[in-house]
Amino acid sequence: MLTLTGLFVFSACKNGMKQNSGILNNQSAAQKVYVAPGEHDEYYAFFSGGFSGQVSVYGLPSGRLLKIIPVFSVDAEKGYGFNEETKPMLNTSFGFVPWDDAHHPELSQTNGIPDGRWLFINGNNTPRIAKLDLSTFETTEIIEIPNSGGNHSSPFTTENSEYVVAGTRFSVPFPQKDVAIGSYKDNFKGALSFIKLDEDGHMDIAFQVLVPGYDYDLAHSGKGKSHGWTFFTTYNSEQSHTLKEINASQNDKDFIAAVNWKKAEEYLAQGKAQDYPTEYLINRYDEHSHTSTSITRNSVKVLIPEECPGLIYYLPTPKSPHGVDVDPTGEYIVGNGKLSADLTVHSFDKMMTAIANEAFEETIDGIPVLKFEEVLAGTVSSGGLGPLHTEFDADGNAYTTFFISSEVVKWKVGSWEVLDRAPCYYSVGHLMIPGGDSKKPWGKYLVALNKITKDRYLPTGPEMNHSAQLYDISGDKMEMLLDFPTVGEPHYGQGIAADVIKNRSKKIYPLNDNTHPHNIKSEAEARVERDGDVVRIYMTSIRSHFAPDNIEGIKVGDKVYVHLTNLEQDWDTPHGLSIMGARNAELLVMPGQTETLYWEPQKPGVYPFYCTDFCSALHQEMQGYIRVSEATSDIKLSWSLGESI
Amino acid sequence: MVETAEEPEDPMANKGIGPVSEVTLGAEIDEAMAAEGKSIFETMCAACHKIDEKFIGPSPKGILKRRSPEWVMNMILNPEQMIKEDPVAKALFIEFNMSPMANQNLTEDQARKVLEYFRTLE
Amino acid sequence: MRRRINYLMLIASLLLVLLFVFPLWRITLTAPQYPDGISMFIWINKITGDNEYTLQNINILNHYVGMQYIVPESIPELTYFPYIILFMTAAGVAVAFTNNKKLIGTWLVTMLILGILGIYDFYLWEYDYGHNLSDKAPIKVPGMAYQPPLLGTKMLLNFKADSYPHWGGAVLGLSIILSYVALIKSRFSHEKS
Ligand code: HEC
Ligand SMILES: [Cu+2]
Repeated sequence: MLTLTGLFVFSACKNGMKQNSGILNNQSAAQKVYVAPGEHDEYYAFFSGGFSGQVSVYGLPSGRLLKIIPVFSVDAEKGYGFNEETKPMLNTSFGFVPWDDAHHPELSQTNGIPDGRWLFINGNNTPRIAKLDLSTFETTEIIEIPNSGGNHSSPFTTENSEYVVAGTRFSVPFPQKDVAIGSYKDNFKGALSFIKLDEDGHMDIAFQVLVPGYDYDLAHSGKGKSHGWTFFTTYNSEQSHTLKEINASQNDKDFIAAVNWKKAEEYLAQGKAQDYPTEYLINRYDEHSHTSTSITRNSVKVLIPEECPGLIYYLPTPKSPHGVDVDPTGEYIVGNGKLSADLTVHSFDKMMTAIANEAFEETIDGIPVLKFEEVLAGTVSSGGLGPLHTEFDADGNAYTTFFISSEVVKWKVGSWEVLDRAPCYYSVGHLMIPGGDSKKPWGKYLVALNKITKDRYLPTGPEMNHSAQLYDISGDKMEMLLDFPTVGEPHYGQGIAADVIKNRSKKIYPLNDNTHPHNIKSEAEARVERDGDVVRIYMTSIRSHFAPDNIEGIKVGDKVYVHLTNLEQDWDTPHGLSIMGARNAELLVMPGQTETLYWEPQKPGVYPFYCTDFCSALHQEMQGYIRVSEATSDIKLSWSLGESI
Repeated sequence: MVETAEEPEDPMANKGIGPVSEVTLGAEIDEAMAAEGKSIFETMCAACHKIDEKFIGPSPKGILKRRSPEWVMNMILNPEQMIKEDPVAKALFIEFNMSPMANQNLTEDQARKVLEYFRTLE
Repeated sequence: MRRRINYLMLIASLLLVLLFVFPLWRITLTAPQYPDGISMFIWINKITGDNEYTLQNINILNHYVGMQYIVPESIPELTYFPYIILFMTAAGVAVAFTNNKKLIGTWLVTMLILGILGIYDFYLWEYDYGHNLSDKAPIKVPGMAYQPPLLGTKMLLNFKADSYPHWGGAVLGLSIILSYVALIKSRFSHEKS
């Protein structure tokens, strides 16, 4: 009886709340996103930086920016790509590439559920995939993808992160060669790459599938019953190579490619793969030596569909599909046909039956095209325009973004009926629901990642930061709670319950585990060594001094390496280092870490150096001098701390 | 019923949606104005419109036989609203694979000059 | 009169072994920048922190106000106290077997004196650390000393210092109380027989 009354009162309240509008509604929205000072958010959200090349980390529901993690772009703030330790991370077969276009963050999964170990993200321009370690929030590995151009359908993971995938958005000559662009149809091919993670989490390319020269746009892997398959959307099945905005939009239908990677493993074991000579790099950062190294690979295994029946099928899908999204059960494969009003949903079961019955329309380069009607599960007639991406909640609902009509539409998986719609400001691209592309979505919130900002915030000149909107999706109707600017251009995002990551987060790097080849573990070892014109300064930092802090005997033209070890072992006590006139960024060294600043002194003089991260009450005193003499001088190399040289 | 009601009977009577409600065309083409209009068109519009063929957008050739001068100016000055709300512009937008007509922020005076230039393309 | 083992006394003396398992005292420093606090544990034979870097972190903080570094190796008490405790354990066991009230009394009084001396010694060290400041200290607050409280809570600039006995301290107290009960009991049983 008591519970009944309780329930009644509760639902009465809920109804009461729903009816509120205007100011009252704003107040309840404000309450829902209010995270009191000192309290923590419920979810971590990871957004790609797009053309910033980085990843930004936000807390939800507050929309607080927690961190920007440098990935594909040099970052003077953290010295990433500037210090000697991280420079190799940006190496490619083209040499050092200091920027990329970062699109799709993807959390590693265990049993189809985000597990908080790693975050993967693709570099679109010079095809690469990065792996970030979520115990340190650092980029720890970057692998280059050969035979690819515009690495867009990437790095979507399989259920246990057996693989992350990479499909080429711009088909290119395979292998690369100097040919006429007009010979596109003859020479250009697509590559669908499967990057395997070994037991230590290291990435390497297991195999590539050679496919027709279309544009492979997005991907998602199967889950549950469809585990073992990965789906890629294609457009430009017209195979045009100029004025694509018109020429690649002529066919009524393009395809979703379904790759059976378990079958691929069998073919690989049978030795069916061909070795193609190529060149790609793997850059790995080691948390103990605090340094990164590049490994070069010179060939890649390629599977050719004609020789591997059952490896890959095409599912016809209307109007240049963009996102392909698999529902939490693994049964439905949603094709978001970006030039249409409707969504096409394919059924995995029907696909398997069609394959068994050989219900093929035709075969393209050894790839059977399944009959459209045989795989179609249903169509969502949304009334919106330009569907791009779909994510799911825990209650069997799907949410699709519409770029042109600038809205999110909620619909029921299975009955395809439209349940609700909410406007976005403006022109939404991807959306993110915590766990929304996994087997077990957390649901609760939805973030719309918008492409156009215009008047949403105070104007900041011609360029505005992109905007995001947070919606509460726990009720029947979506309710907009918050509007916040984002960094760069977030394409996709991933969300995860804070607890999964929070408790694994490291506070320091233990000094005892530091194996940097030029580390020192106490001030007693601080010293300066010369070998020809190479000078190595072995320096330490601790609140609030460097050792040594007076150095003489450096000469113009020397190649100076300052190896700074931060002896601190307390959380959040980095020290920075910068030297006047050094054509370089600063160092920002975490507790227990060693980093190296390279400096070529230009002219004689005495140059101050100092700590750049306000570390203590005596931070302003954390400074020193380096004397630089003429190349011909005979000043002896000497150093000191606390006394005159 | 509703759908037919949206279709204007005579496209030449449809003035579109936007700031321009009345345009008077001179009996003779004003060559000086048309020349200015041509140069505006070449810098601001030619990336998407070609005179002799359909490109990203339609060719403006003979446009004044298809559309009222007010509609054309409103399409130039207010394309966002036009492709959303004007039935003719909306249909064009779908036909052109949803690539939107760009608002190039022309002044009314500039748009009028472009219109004069369009008159020479009969 | 039969000699029976005095079990209470046996337990009282064997309890002392636990001093090698639990710290005697705990001093915790908390400040806004250290929401979890930094804890230092004083054992019979060592000084430890809540993690292996605590002493370094406390020493970094201390150097601003010119306090000496806490270097456990330089505190001689930590090397000879363990022997005293081991001796008292052995003596206590022997006394338990004799079950002689005079010997029990002597053991108890010795423990009490040792305890008081120990606390006084602890106070001297605290005084020394708190007052014996380098005259080159970067931060000098006239009249300010940084001696943590012997027992209780005290503000030291921005830090709140809490100083309380830990399990080892409790065990020591329990041992003394038990030996006192053993003393009374032994008198009681003595009179009875
Ligand atoms: C970014 C490409 C682009 C630019 C730049 C552009 N347009 Fe357009 N225009 C279009 C498209 C596409 C359409 C068809 C409607 C749609 O899809 O929105 C169109 C339609 C039109 C129409 C209607 C044509 C008809 O047949 O009814 C006129 C008039 C027009 N544009 C004039 C201009 C003028 C004048 C300029 C320069 C100030 C211009 N446009 C610049 C893309 C463009
Ligand atoms: Cu510092």
